[in-house]
Amino acid sequence: MSALRAIFMREARLAWAGGGGAAGPTAFFLAAITLAPLAIGPAADLLSAVGPGIMGFAALLSVLQSADRLFGDDHGDGTAELYLLSGVSPAWLVLAKVTGQALATLWPLPVIGCLGAMMYGVPVQPALMGALALLAAIPALSLIAGFAGALAAGIRRSGLLIALIATPMMVPVLIFAAGAGRSAFEGDERALANLLLTAAVSLGTIALAPFGIAAAIRSRLG
Amino acid sequence: MTMQSATEISPDMPEFETETLRVSGLSLARGGIELVRGFSLDLAPGDAVLMSGPNGTGKTTLLRALAGFIRPDAGEIRFGELPPGEVAADCLGWLGHADGLKPNETPRAALRFWADLTGQSRKAILPLMRAMAVESLIDRPAARLSRGQQRRTALVRVALANRPIWLLDEPAGPLDGGGRARLASLVAWHRARGGSVIAATHQRLDWPDARRIDLGAHR
Repeated sequence: MSALRAIFMREARLAWAGGGGAAGPTAFFLAAITLAPLAIGPAADLLSAVGPGIMGFAALLSVLQSADRLFGDDHGDGTAELYLLSGVSPAWLVLAKVTGQALATLWPLPVIGCLGAMMYGVPVQPALMGALALLAAIPALSLIAGFAGALAAGIRRSGLLIALIATPMMVPVLIFAAGAGRSAFEGDERALANLLLTAAVSLGTIALAPFGIAAAIRSRLG
Repeated sequence: MTMQSATEISPDMPEFETETLRVSGLSLARGGIELVRGFSLDLAPGDAVLMSGPNGTGKTTLLRALAGFIRPDAGEIRFGELPPGEVAADCLGWLGHADGLKPNETPRAALRFWADLTGQSRKAILPLMRAMAVESLIDRPAARLSRGQQRRTALVRVALANRPIWLLDEPAGPLDGGGRARLASLVAWHRARGGSVIAATHQRLDWPDARRIDLGAHR
């Protein structure tokens, strides 16, 4: 257990100190939600209707944006080999790593999602529901991004491969997470169901993705 | 250690369980080209093996197969009774091509992490860094260390894991003469404790009664 805590702490520390912490995903998220209204147009009722959806979509992109570094760096600098020889179960190890990284870099996403939705004219209640759904979606998003990043580790221009692998896998969680905010905005009762489904996808991903990531790391070393 | 050795290495580390390695009839191919055929090796506690051979003869491939990263085409690798993989993970100290350092991380933070991860005491870090003469660099980010200093730090990490069999890929590559002498005494210390070493190298390393294998002869 102390080994897993060591990995968690190290990844959080490295992401915080070396990678600028939350700055990258935050800047990306802010840029996306600031630019979207310029493209959509200034109609207030239109903006508030698309607000919850834009928040989910922009959050997904900002998670993808740093996916190549998560396991690509480990592959390049020899850390991946050492992790596999550390004697710690690889699936637990990658789960601790992704969790540490996600906590250090993705924590502002629900906050920005909530404030951003309100700036789009979404009332407080649905904005909070959307933020809650984003929070529930982060485990799934970051693990899927990690899986794609691990498969593409060590490949030049891995960003292309990551986008191709991760985008289809993120479809369910995007539908449910954005759907939770949208349903809450429209005032129908499916908001809670969507939120719970988002959490369910995340839990399923937590149970399965670490094995896939571990296998991907091993295969990239072979 | 004797007093004559270049450095006194006496970190406070628990003893490890010695382990034997037996390789028989090993064949390895990379990209459709057979690199190693019918390679056999017995490694007992205290042994050291220096592998040499021209570039591309499969030294690194062989080390990676021993570590379980590559599946051999034929032959058998046994650590004690068991094949490489999860079991081997507990007995291998690994130094690959890359040093496994993060550019923004100081050796202090990195080595503390590796000590925690492998369940070793952090107390051994300073004595081992002193043995490789890098203790003054302990708070300098790895990106600002020279290649040789990074290699020395990586060697400290190998020793810190406290495992019986070391697999070293070009351990002396970027090291100067003093670094090679310190590497030699680190290896001597490890062998005196019952550990064994397999190193791939292009340099002439003067490790007492180390077996030399020319991989070019195994094709």
